[in-house]
Amino acid sequence: MKIKITAAILLSMLFTVSCTDLNEQLYDQVEDGEFGNTTKEIDALVGGAYSSLRGFSDAISNNFPTCEYVFFLNEVVSDEATIPTRGTNWYDGGQYQDAQKHTWKADNRMILSAWRYNYTGIAKINAIIYQINKSSLSDKAKEPIFAELKALRAYYYYNLLDLFGNVPIVTNFEDTDLPSNSTRKQVYDFVEKELTDAIPHLNPNVVYSKLTRNVAYSILARLYLNSEAFIGVARWQDCLDACQKVTGYSLTPDFFANFVTENQTSSEIIFAIPYDSKAGTVGNYMNSMSAHYNQKLAISPIGNYPWSANGMCAQPGVYSAFADTDKRKKCMLEGDQINLATGSVIMMDNGEPLTYTENLRSLEDAKENEGVRLAKYEMKAGEQWERDHDFVLIRYSEILMMQAECYVRLGSPDLARPFVQQVTARAGEEMPATIDLAFIDQELLKEFTFEGRRRTDNIRFGTFFLPWWSKGATEKYRAIFPIPSTVLTTNKNLKQNPGY
Amino acid sequence: MNSKNTKSVLHQMWTAKATVLMIFMLFLSAGLFAQGKKQISGTVYDNTGSVLPGASIIEVGTKNGTTTDFDGKFSLQVAVGGAIEVSFIGSTTQKVQITANTSNYDVRLQNDGYALAEVQVVSVGYGKVKKSDLTGAISTVGADDLVKGTISSTEQVLQGKVAGLNIIRPSGDPAAGSTIRLRGGTSLTASNSPLIVVDGIAGVDINVVQPADIKSVDVLKDASATAIYGSRGANGVIMITTKSGTKGVSVTYNGLSSIGYVTDNLDLLSANQWRGYVRQSGNADAVDYGGNTNWQKAIEQTAISQSHTLSINSGKADSGFRTSIGYLNNEGVIKKSGLERISGNVSAYQFLGDNKEVKFDMGLFANIDKWHPIDYRIFERAYNLNPTIPVYNEDGSFSSVTGNIYQNPVEILTNRTFDNERHRLLGYFKTDVKFLNDFTATANISLEHNAVKGGTYKPSYAVMEGQTEGGFAQRTYAEFTNAQGELYVNYNKTIDKHNISALAGYSYLENIYQGFGAQRGGFVTDAFSYNNLGAGYNYRLGDVYSYKGKSNLVSFYARANYGYDGKYLLTATVRRDGSSRFGENNKWGTFPSASAAWRISNEGFMESSKGWLDNLKLRVGYGVTGNQDGIGEYKSLSILGVGNDSYYDPVTKTWSLAYSPKQNPNPDLKWESTQQINVGFDFGLFNRITGSFEYYSKTTKDLLYTYEVPQPPYLVGTMLANVGEMSNKGVELTLNADIIKGEKFNWNANLTLGHNVQKIEKLSNPTYKTDVIYSGSLHGLAGMSGQYSQIIAEGYPVGTFWGFRNAGLDADGKIQYYNAAGQVVQESALVDADKTDLGNIQPDLTLGLAMNFTYGNFDLGISGYGMFGQKALNATNMMLNDPNRLPSFNVPDDFLNSGITSAPKYSDYWIEDASFFRIQTLSLGYTLPLKYKKSKMRFYVMGENLFVFTSYKGVDPEIGLNAQDGINQTGVMDQTGLAAPGIDRYNNYPRPTTISVGLNFTLNN
Repeated sequence: MKIKITAAILLSMLFTVSCTDLNEQLYDQVEDGEFGNTTKEIDALVGGAYSSLRGFSDAISNNFPTCEYVFFLNEVVSDEATIPTRGTNWYDGGQYQDAQKHTWKADNRMILSAWRYNYTGIAKINAIIYQINKSSLSDKAKEPIFAELKALRAYYYYNLLDLFGNVPIVTNFEDTDLPSNSTRKQVYDFVEKELTDAIPHLNPNVVYSKLTRNVAYSILARLYLNSEAFIGVARWQDCLDACQKVTGYSLTPDFFANFVTENQTSSEIIFAIPYDSKAGTVGNYMNSMSAHYNQKLAISPIGNYPWSANGMCAQPGVYSAFADTDKRKKCMLEGDQINLATGSVIMMDNGEPLTYTENLRSLEDAKENEGVRLAKYEMKAGEQWERDHDFVLIRYSEILMMQAECYVRLGSPDLARPFVQQVTARAGEEMPATIDLAFIDQELLKEFTFEGRRRTDNIRFGTFFLPWWSKGATEKYRAIFPIPSTVLTTNKNLKQNPGY
Repeated sequence: MNSKNTKSVLHQMWTAKATVLMIFMLFLSAGLFAQGKKQISGTVYDNTGSVLPGASIIEVGTKNGTTTDFDGKFSLQVAVGGAIEVSFIGSTTQKVQITANTSNYDVRLQNDGYALAEVQVVSVGYGKVKKSDLTGAISTVGADDLVKGTISSTEQVLQGKVAGLNIIRPSGDPAAGSTIRLRGGTSLTASNSPLIVVDGIAGVDINVVQPADIKSVDVLKDASATAIYGSRGANGVIMITTKSGTKGVSVTYNGLSSIGYVTDNLDLLSANQWRGYVRQSGNADAVDYGGNTNWQKAIEQTAISQSHTLSINSGKADSGFRTSIGYLNNEGVIKKSGLERISGNVSAYQFLGDNKEVKFDMGLFANIDKWHPIDYRIFERAYNLNPTIPVYNEDGSFSSVTGNIYQNPVEILTNRTFDNERHRLLGYFKTDVKFLNDFTATANISLEHNAVKGGTYKPSYAVMEGQTEGGFAQRTYAEFTNAQGELYVNYNKTIDKHNISALAGYSYLENIYQGFGAQRGGFVTDAFSYNNLGAGYNYRLGDVYSYKGKSNLVSFYARANYGYDGKYLLTATVRRDGSSRFGENNKWGTFPSASAAWRISNEGFMESSKGWLDNLKLRVGYGVTGNQDGIGEYKSLSILGVGNDSYYDPVTKTWSLAYSPKQNPNPDLKWESTQQINVGFDFGLFNRITGSFEYYSKTTKDLLYTYEVPQPPYLVGTMLANVGEMSNKGVELTLNADIIKGEKFNWNANLTLGHNVQKIEKLSNPTYKTDVIYSGSLHGLAGMSGQYSQIIAEGYPVGTFWGFRNAGLDADGKIQYYNAAGQVVQESALVDADKTDLGNIQPDLTLGLAMNFTYGNFDLGISGYGMFGQKALNATNMMLNDPNRLPSFNVPDDFLNSGITSAPKYSDYWIEDASFFRIQTLSLGYTLPLKYKKSKMRFYVMGENLFVFTSYKGVDPEIGLNAQDGINQTGVMDQTGLAAPGIDRYNNYPRPTTISVGLNFTLNN
């Protein structure tokens, strides 16, 4: 009897315990349907669009944000910077040598990184637009938010237009069909239209690090400046007009005020990616990518400075292009590096002194100390691996230089003089009697050294296709990069850029 | 002999011999009648001298009989001049003549190896089956056969013991776990570890059970056997049965003390060799730091280890309990490393009812591990450092040189604090109720809890990561809880020659994981270690975190067995699993199996071979199993979360947290499904040799992998999806032979062999296109950022090395290569198309061998295991043989003679055959027979890892299967995936050679 009772209990347990609910319960994340209904939540979403400007690091790219995605690529293929192989280090499958020699192939991981940096930013914005669109916000309230997001998206598309040319345009998060290429002209038109449409709804004031009306005009100015290189139609006057819409900025008296740790107070910075190690921002390791391992002893007597990788340096000829009186020359480290503890020259592990030289033995086998180093951003003792200085994308001096260049190109070099003079005066440089394109080109090199935009200038001035250090003449098709090979594999609708 | 006894005997006797005995008994008993009777008594012992309760004593030719009582004693009225037959399952039946003047008969039964094996009951999931009735591929290892010695993780006890089951220990670190692979693994992403089932509780951490508490291990290998575990059965199932109270009272102590030391280091230049090189090469700049240091020795120590286990066992007719407590302290041969564990186990059972209708079973396992994870980056530094650098400066402080990857490894080990602690707990309560004669209902509820606490402090004077942070402290806590409830009913009925059994059940599993952590840098004083995080002033976003997640698994399962006359056996199972992890479109999966066996040796036509063929059984099985481990929680959903995505608000000049979409949701996500066919033979010969042979072929479909997806349109560049297909085919052979069975001398040998061939069949489907997945990352090695050494591609096994084929050195010492056309070219002329298949990490053959000898009271055991035909990339050697290293960095002795002048470049120049055979244990014991109630005391000495036969040039050919980027900083092995195995990359925690002395002492009362 007892047994029957027990059996009955057991059987009834079967049905009471019997639970077949398989819904997933979230604890530390939210489903997309449950987010985006309060102003705070909307702010947090829009904030995500900006945080993606810092890039990311994952198993596919094995790379660091910002530095290597767009910046490294744009600098290393230009006449400004190089990443030589030093012994075993920095060979990395030859990707940097290929970049220097202009022999890159579609499987170069730097190219893939640049592609993914921009498209991840775009996809995030598409997702955020989708998210906000579903929210209970009124259409009127949505309008400025969408304008800001779309203008930021247009910045990414501008990068893609510059780097890859014929890229697919995707604007709808829900559209998961594999897209095909748009022509470079279509991408150009898209960027122009998106920015122009957004401008009336954008914030007209100077707001640091946000995509304001000023930033949109700056990007438009860049677009028009490079219009001839992009689509074969020169639009110098449009560039001038756009530049004139950028207001509220001035050059800082000290050039390096733009590159100190607390550079967010600069009156000159139009657009920047904010970093703050305390806020958990990851990336921005440029200084450490360039300095020698032992450079830390020149920064702190006990070597209290993060690890450095002894990689990137200036191409031969860049350092000597600066006059000694040019204040901007200090953006590079050259010569003996002094150990703050001993007062004598730092010794490398092989027993030789750490003396940076402008010339390099070779791209394939440079010595540890060869090449002058990037030191534009402040290097401080006690700095953490995650850096605090903001990464500058657009400065007011670029607006000045764009106007100067346009006037020269429009045949009015005298009108260019007041613009370029502001820049040279601050640097402590003499103005030449006549302002020509060669002067503008050199001035762009010196003003924007290692700011991630040199490749575009080289292409616009045509120097990109001429031989330079460790590089022969470059064929025209290399003005844009190939679409990365893994992207082509996974999306059969895409066609490779011509020439590759 | 009453009818009930007859039935129970009938039920258990399945061996040929028992059947013969029964027939004999039944037919002849009627014809006999009593002559002059006398009362006899006696005791029955087993071959080890322990009393044997439940042995049958039958007067020959009659129905007259009895069984021995709890103390092995019997008494019986028998005819003078007659005989009795004493029998016990698994023993050779013994006939004793009854003489007029003796009335006390002590009988010692010898083991019948074959018969014993056949009546073993094997755990098959939700029930047990006699080994003779099995239809699937299942290997069993008894407690006596488990690997013994200095063991820190339970899976080690199975090393080399089961054909097709590879236990790979990547290093000699006592805190590092092992990787378990059955039949080659089935997944690219998901765990390839078999499901661990302890006393019926599925999915537990194997280390919750200590080796001393294990009674037997059954390894379910083919799909027909594992399909009862459905979506978790694809990698096989390891069923562990723990010891429970057996009849009698006994106290057992097992103790072991050992010393371990390093026998294999890399041969690098000594300080004097380095000076000799510098003199010869005339390098005036080379810096001689004046010391004389062997950096490898500087981080090593002699490891003193001990372990003690004490257990108390008590069993009566209807109840029993067993408790054990254990302590082990295994030092590592690298300073600071080691593992300390306290463990305890209590189990008890109680029958209720006149006929034992109800049984309650409970068990509780708990242990606490403490260890100090070491930073594996010390090995690279120990190889790098110039041997003239002293460990300490003259003032006693650590010497330090400033270069990159050049920090003093002794300083790294000494100055930084890593304290980890893990708590494991498993408890269950099980009730069996027999009803309606043939049914047994079982309810089993269990809870497993596993928690890890960590504390880290890198003081402000620690060169790596401490200095720049100004002291860095961290606390972490992570735990998971598995709560399970199971309810199943077994039915078992024998009608004449038909045996029918069936099972139906339901189970519910809920897994909750959660954790939190906090860290801070910037301490004014180093006095607090990690105990006062609030004292750190350098606070960053992301310095505190917590997380929580949950999944559940709901299952229904059923099994039916049919046996006819013990000759024809059929089994069919089905399981239906629903998992919260699966995507919306695939919430439920069904996993069927069917298998059949034929006892050929029981057929009439085999009568003529009875003299030598004890058993011959053919088994065929097919089944579908799944693997859902790789999915993880919430992967099918579109979710938003905070990463470390903060954004700057220029108005308030503050930072806030951004919310971003996290992943490409995949509502189609589901389990990987493996179809497997298995054909096997079991055989027994000459009553001495038993064995089995298996052939299997399995195909895994819907392989989970984080596939690269095109951006645009996808949100992120990767997405977890079910795409590929992989096959594994192989054969396995298990042989056990009693080569010599004598009164004093015995020789037993056990051999397992496995051969597996793996191939990726498909990587693309209409949605996801993948030509090749690059794996075997070399990222982080100098000059190899973003470089890969292996491919996963259709037609190749996982772990295929893909690269350039070398053509030896040219006159200048440059490594030359073959291009695709087979011409010898220089490095600069190579193009991608010249890359080719350079072999793979899959062994052609795995082997386990054990031999035991006993002579009187002495015993000698030797065991070893090996893997043959696999390749390994000796990346350590590749990076050390770099002409750029001297004079700053150390190099191998061989480098100076090698003439190599090219900088390290990945090619098959650095790929080696990593075949090996390791003598794992050699032990010699002496058993002291004690007078007191058959108590026993055994002393032994044992050597472990005494010799490795290999041609591999690195420190150790046994390389971790999962060394993704080397073992990570805290020494925790990446347990998932097959992505980057077989790369020897500075992660050579040396495997010690160990000499131990031990004592086993059993006191019976």
